Formats: sequence, C-alpha cells, structure tokens
Amino acid sequence: MVEFLMANKPISKPSSNSKLRAKVKQPQTKFRSDRLQSKKPASIQKNNRFRRYLIGFIVFTLIAFSGYLFFLNHLISQRFDGDTWALPSRIYARPLELYTGMSLDYESLKFELKLSTYQRGHKKLKPGQYRLLKQSIDLFTQDFEYSDSVEPGRLVNIEFSGDKVTAIKDLVSNKPIKLHRLPPAIIGSYHPQNGEDRLLLASDRIPQKLQQILIAVEDQQFFNHFGINPISIARALIANVRAGKTVQGGSTLTQQLAKNLFLTSERSLLRKINEAFMALLLEARFSKQTILAAYINEVFLLQQNKIAIHGFELASQRLFKQSIEQLSTDKLALLVGMVKGPSSYNPMAHPAAALTRRNLVLRVMRDEKVIDQTEYSHLIRQPLGTVKRLPGVNPFPAYVDLVKRQLKSSYSSSELSAKGLRIFTPFDPLIQRALHQGLENGLSRFGQPDLQAAVVIADYLNGDIQALIGDKQVDYPGFNRAVMAQRPIGSLIKPLLLYSLLEGDRSLATLVNDKAINIKQSDGKVWTPRNYDRQFHGKMSLYQAFVKSYNLPFVHFGVQGGLEALVKNLERIDLLKHEVVYPSILLGTSAMSAFEVAQMYQVIANNGYFTPLTTIRQVSDKDNRVLDRIPLKSQKIFNQSQMIQVQRAMVGVVEEGTARYLNTRFKGQSLAGKTGTTNDTRDSWFSGFSDRLLGVVWLGNDDNKSIKLTGSSGALRVWADIMAQQKFKPFKISRDAALEWRYINRKNGGLTKQHCANSVLLPFIKSQIPTGRSACE
Amino acid sequence: MYPARMNLIRIKSTKIGLILLTMLAVSCSLPTVNTDQYHGVKTTENASNGPVTELHRLAISASNQQQYDQSVSYLQRAIKIEPRNARSWYYLAQSYWYKKSYRQCLDMIERSYSYSSVEDGLDNANDELKTQCMVG
Repeated sequence: MVEFLMANKPISKPSSNSKLRAKVKQPQTKFRSDRLQSKKPASIQKNNRFRRYLIGFIVFTLIAFSGYLFFLNHLISQRFDGDTWALPSRIYARPLELYTGMSLDYESLKFELKLSTYQRGHKKLKPGQYRLLKQSIDLFTQDFEYSDSVEPGRLVNIEFSGDKVTAIKDLVSNKPIKLHRLPPAIIGSYHPQNGEDRLLLASDRIPQKLQQILIAVEDQQFFNHFGINPISIARALIANVRAGKTVQGGSTLTQQLAKNLFLTSERSLLRKINEAFMALLLEARFSKQTILAAYINEVFLLQQNKIAIHGFELASQRLFKQSIEQLSTDKLALLVGMVKGPSSYNPMAHPAAALTRRNLVLRVMRDEKVIDQTEYSHLIRQPLGTVKRLPGVNPFPAYVDLVKRQLKSSYSSSELSAKGLRIFTPFDPLIQRALHQGLENGLSRFGQPDLQAAVVIADYLNGDIQALIGDKQVDYPGFNRAVMAQRPIGSLIKPLLLYSLLEGDRSLATLVNDKAINIKQSDGKVWTPRNYDRQFHGKMSLYQAFVKSYNLPFVHFGVQGGLEALVKNLERIDLLKHEVVYPSILLGTSAMSAFEVAQMYQVIANNGYFTPLTTIRQVSDKDNRVLDRIPLKSQKIFNQSQMIQVQRAMVGVVEEGTARYLNTRFKGQSLAGKTGTTNDTRDSWFSGFSDRLLGVVWLGNDDNKSIKLTGSSGALRVWADIMAQQKFKPFKISRDAALEWRYINRKNGGLTKQHCANSVLLPFIKSQIPTGRSACE
Repeated sequence: MYPARMNLIRIKSTKIGLILLTMLAVSCSLPTVNTDQYHGVKTTENASNGPVTELHRLAISASNQQQYDQSVSYLQRAIKIEPRNARSWYYLAQSYWYKKSYRQCLDMIERSYSYSSVEDGLDNANDELKTQCMVG
C-alpha cells in the first residue's frame, strides 16, 4: 500500500475503493517551480518579495533624489552663471574737473564732497577722506573707473583765494597738478522690481577684517565644513529642545546664503532640508572665497522706505557715508551685528539695541582672538558713528525723472532696473543747490501757498541740462512740471517772432505802428488783441516795441507774413504743436513746457546753432563698457547775424524794458532775457541767459487760477534770486563781420548820435543800415 | 613823347592821391562806434600750460594712436571748460573726420569758424578740413 505522507496532514484511513485507487495512483507531472515551491518554506518566499520591493524602492528613491539634486543644481546654475543679482542702475552727476584758475570756492567744494561719500578725516587721510584747513582742503580722492580711463585716487591739496582755485598740488610728489577729475556723485538709481538695492563688492575688495568678524560671529568653522556643520546642528538642536523654543541656530554661512538666494524664511523641515542640500551643492561647485563674497553681497541689512538695502558695501555707504574698505573695526562690528536682526538692530531706529549688539559682537571677536583686550576696551567705548539721517534715496527727483524719460526710448525697464548700468549726466550739484536756495527765497516773497514752479537751467553752448525742478517742493517725486506742464508762453514767443521778422527785410530800426487791429479768423470769430496796458502807443522802432513787449505791432507784422515765418521757424526746432495755426500764436497762446522753452532759447542764445538739450552724456554697462555715448551736437539752423540782433534786443529788455529789474539787481552785469505773461495773469514766465547759463522759470497754479503776477513781478524775481546764488559771467554778444553798429533814435528809427535823446546802439546788416537821419534833441 | 607821358602819369597820380585823401577825410568824419560794452574782451585761453591745452595734448596723443573715441572724450572735456575755444572745436571736427562722421565734422567746423579770430590762425585749417569732410 502506498501511502503519501504529507506534512501535518493526518493519515486518513483508506476506504476499500480508495485502497485500490491508492495502489494504482500514478504520480502527477509537476512543473519545476511547483516542484521547487513545493520544496521552499512560505517565509522565504515572503522575504524574497520584500527584497524586491525594497530594491525597487531604493532605485526609485535614488532616481527621485538625483532629480531633486539636479533641480537644485539647476537653480544654482541659473543664478550664478548669469547675473547673480538684479543690479540697480546708477545715475551720476557730472565729475568735477579741478584746475588752477577755475571758479570754485571753499564752501562749494565742501558741499561737493559731502554729496559724494567723502568723510572728514584726521591725521592720516585715507581714500575718501578730506581735511579742512584755513584756505585750502586736503583731499584723498578715490579711484574712479570711467569708460575711457581710470582716474586714480590721489592725495591732493586744493588752495583757494576768494572764489577761485589758486593752486592744486599732489601731496605725495609735491608737484602741481594741471587737471584732476573728482569721481561723480550718485544722484539717483533705478531699482529692480523686487525693491532691492546693493553695490557689488568684488572679492578682492572685501576687507580681511570683515571676513574675520563675520566668520567669528556667524560661522567659526566656515573654512572647515562642507556646507553644513552637523556638530553645530546637533548643538543647536539640544539647546532648542532644552529651552523649548528656538534659541540657537546651527546654520552655516553657506546655508544662510542658500536660504537668502533661493528660499523663503519659512520655518519648516522641508525648507531646512532644501537649504542643507543647496549648501552642499554650493560648496561642491564654488570656492569658500566665492561663497563668502556672495554672502557679503547678498545679506539684507537695512530697510530704507521701500528699498531693501542688501550687501555690506551699500549699507556702509548709507549708514557711514564711507566705503566698507574705509570702515573702522567697531563700525564693521555693528554691520555684522545687524545681520541677525536688521530691523531690531537698526542703529537709526533702535540705537541702544544696536550699540548693545555691536558690543556683543566685539566681545565674541575678543573671545575668538580677532581683537585683543586692549582694543576691545577701546572699541566698546566708541559711539555708533552713523550719519544723523540716512541720505535721501532720490534727492533730485525732477532731474532723475527727465533722465529716465530720455532713456526710455533706448532702454527697457528691465535693462535699466536690473543690469547695473552707469548713466553719466551733466547734472551740476552746485547749480542745483543755487536753484533750491534761490527758489526758496523767491517764492517766499509772494505769500501764495498754492503757487507752483518749474525751473530749467542749462548750458546753452553744449546742451547740458545742469539743474531742474518740477515742483516748488524740490525733493517731491511727483508731477514733473518742468517737463509735463504745458502752459501758454505769452510774450516768450517774441524773440523767435522777432527773428522771423528780421529774416525778411526788416531791421531793429524798422518803424512799426502800435495801433488797434481786428482779425477775422477762419471760424468767423473776430480776434481783437490788446497791449498789456490796454493803450496804443503809435509809431516806434521795432526794437522799442520789443523791449516794451507791446503786442499790437507784432500782430500787424504777423498778418503781413510774420505768422508764416514764425510757424516755419517753430517747425525747424520741432516746437510747432498744432496743425491748425491761429494768429494768436503770435502772442504766445501756444502751450509749451519749461523744458521746451529752454530748447527754444538755447538756439537763440547760441547764435542760431541748435544743440539738443540733454540729461545724458554716456551710458556704460556694469563693467564700464560704453553702450551709448551722446556726443556734442551742433547744427546751424538760423542765421547768426540776425540772431545776434535778436540777442541785442533781449539785452535791451534787461537794460530798459520789462526786465530792467535785473539791471538794478546785477549792476554792470549784462544779461539778456524776455518776460512772458498770459491772459488774466495765469502764467508768469521769464527766460534769460548770461555768458553760458540759460534759465527758464515758470510760476502758476495747477488749477489755472490767476496768480496775479506778471513775468516781471513774478518769474523774473525768482530767476534773479536763483542767479544771485551763483557765479556767472555777463552775456557778451559775438562779433560778426556782417554786422555794423549804429546809433539810432528808438522812437523814429533814424540815425542819430550817441549823446542825442532816445539814442540806442544797435547792430545792422550792412545793407539794412537806416539811411534817414533823426534830429538830435 | 617822354615828357608828355610823364605829365600823364603825374596827372593820374594826383587824381588818385586826391581820391585817397578825400576818402581819408570822409572816414575821419564818421562817428566812432565803441561796441566794447556789448562785445567785451576775448577770453580764449592762451597759456601753454592750462587745462584746455593739457586736454588738447591728450586728445592729439590719443588721435595719434587711433583712439578717436578717447580723443573726442578729451575734447568734450576741453569744450566744457572753455566752450568758445575755436581750436577745441577744430580738433573735434578733425576727430570726427578720422571716425568718418563727416556730417558731425562739418557741424563742428561751423562752430570753430564762429569762434575763430585772425589771431587763432585757424581759418585756413578749417577751410581745408571742411573740404575734406565735404568730399568724405
């Protein structure tokens, strides 16, 4: 009997049939696996399944982890391979050229130095410091890289006598210097959209002391770890668990950099994990020096209104008006101390907390042997040393606004706000200062709180816009009236109109008739112009009509062809605003901005040579490669001889006309100008020029209500107050071989002699010299 | 014949002399017009070691090394210090000629003309450069 023994299976008593079946039962054909399985225990089979799952899981995890690391590495590459930071573009003032004999006084140089980052120094001057002496200033200038050259820093002495520089000497070689350019001050910036501002510090410029302090306070094992410090993490963990809250951090500088560059401040495990791996990757890819430099340029240190100051260099310049390289140890300690809490340890807002924090840092430095006990004892007694007030982010908003407008056509917003461009302007801080002071003096006399102002000051010989304000509140960054406010210009149109008349056969002696006139316009309406005094003055010379600013003679000429000539000349300087021209344009109903008026007068003052007014001279990239150079332009568009006659008439306006107040105010200083007043005294204008300075002043109300000020009683006074604040040379008419000068009687235009009544000396084109004589009274 | 010819020459000389004398008398009777109050004295720098001269020297040196942008830069600085110096404008015109910016060359020459005087001795140089720029 064949019995099959099977494990754990009871042996059953066979039935009679089953006995037989059992005898003849054939062995079954079995598959190999079955045979094998049938040999292995179940537990082993389970183990094998588990192993497979485990291997699969490990492979999957490895792939996922590699992908994760690849992603993190990609983020790092994106950041570091291109422009690591969005760098704001900087707008620079003109560099001050120093030379013997130049017109510059002691106080003005002091002002320039304060506007830049120069600080008072003491015994041994460092770059960026100056020392005031009785009649001179010792100055250690800083290197400055222009696109065309590097102006090296020098230790110089500048000597003054009155308002002139009498000598400039190199204090190292003791030799006189012919010419030295001071680095230009920064007057504005384009900030990135993220609101960050920074000044990049190159690796080789980072002071050794700063590195030592940073490492001593934030990451003592920086040069020894590989991105994370497990011991530090463990220590921090224990301390935090014991305290029941976060009292200690274990992050390395590398981790902090990773967090600042790529992550948020969210306190979560995932963020910490990301941070750790990114730190490892940063260490794998970059040297310690590169990481440290990146950290020093990245760390957030100070909030100034809407702008977040990142990086030690800019924080140093804002808080101490010094470059980081010039800072003393205690000031470095303060900045490093601010890393842990830029808000809590802000020395401007919380000086006591900042001082405590700084001294704590100094203590750590002593413990880590960065400084010794003696130095420590000395440094903790030092005051914070910060500026009293942070410098304005944008102290010249109207000028910077015009710079931005003029750049818009060539550069996109993203280029301007992120590429670290360097924009060089002809802005003159000394003239702007004179403008501020003069405007304040001028406006205070009127007692009108709503009275607004716009002023443009330019060098008409080379087209430089040197100063500008667009609001009576000079640092207000709002509506820029100098550029945006379009207002009728009144009699300011008359110089160009006079030129248009002289282009024909007329001269300054041409007789005109100041009498009533009515003009029917194309719309059927009748225009009846009037003089300002509502009087008629009969016949007189064109010169006389101009200096007295009578309207009617010019309207008479206008309808005889003068209007067409004026329109043509406005077109030539691109100031014709409307296709439909009304006769009233002869009296300045055309609306212009102060900037446009300045452009018109630039051509007049410059003998008919058109030079576009500009706020930009050069644009370079962050590596000082020139992107754009705006050269001096000069195009002769008007006849010089005739323009000189206009200038002579404008001198007459000051000598004896509507601007004669200037003759009294600036005795002996020849100036040329024109007043302008609009209907109902809504606008008061004055435009005038000296040897090379052109100034345009507008006064008015934004709601267009009358200000009850004429050009003479309003804008002219402000113009005078502005000019009184600065040095200027008198206006001199150019010599012109095509002109001959003659004395004429201003009332009847006849030739006369110098000593006769009503005589005035005027220039004439030879063929237009008057032939009639006037009786000498 | 000879004495007759001599007489003719004498008569002609006398006539010419009389005309000249008349012109002299007329010119003396015209009023002298002093325009100094408007024109003043020229202020062009003449010193050989002033800042403008130094910038001219630097510009010429840069130009000799074919660094024309650099040369323009120096001259623009010179013009900023002394804008009515005819020589600065002349050199600037020259730099633009080297840069093949002929339109700008002509514009700068116009400015040089407007400021030049007999003392500067620039008129011939300006004329020549103007021709070159027009041809260019």
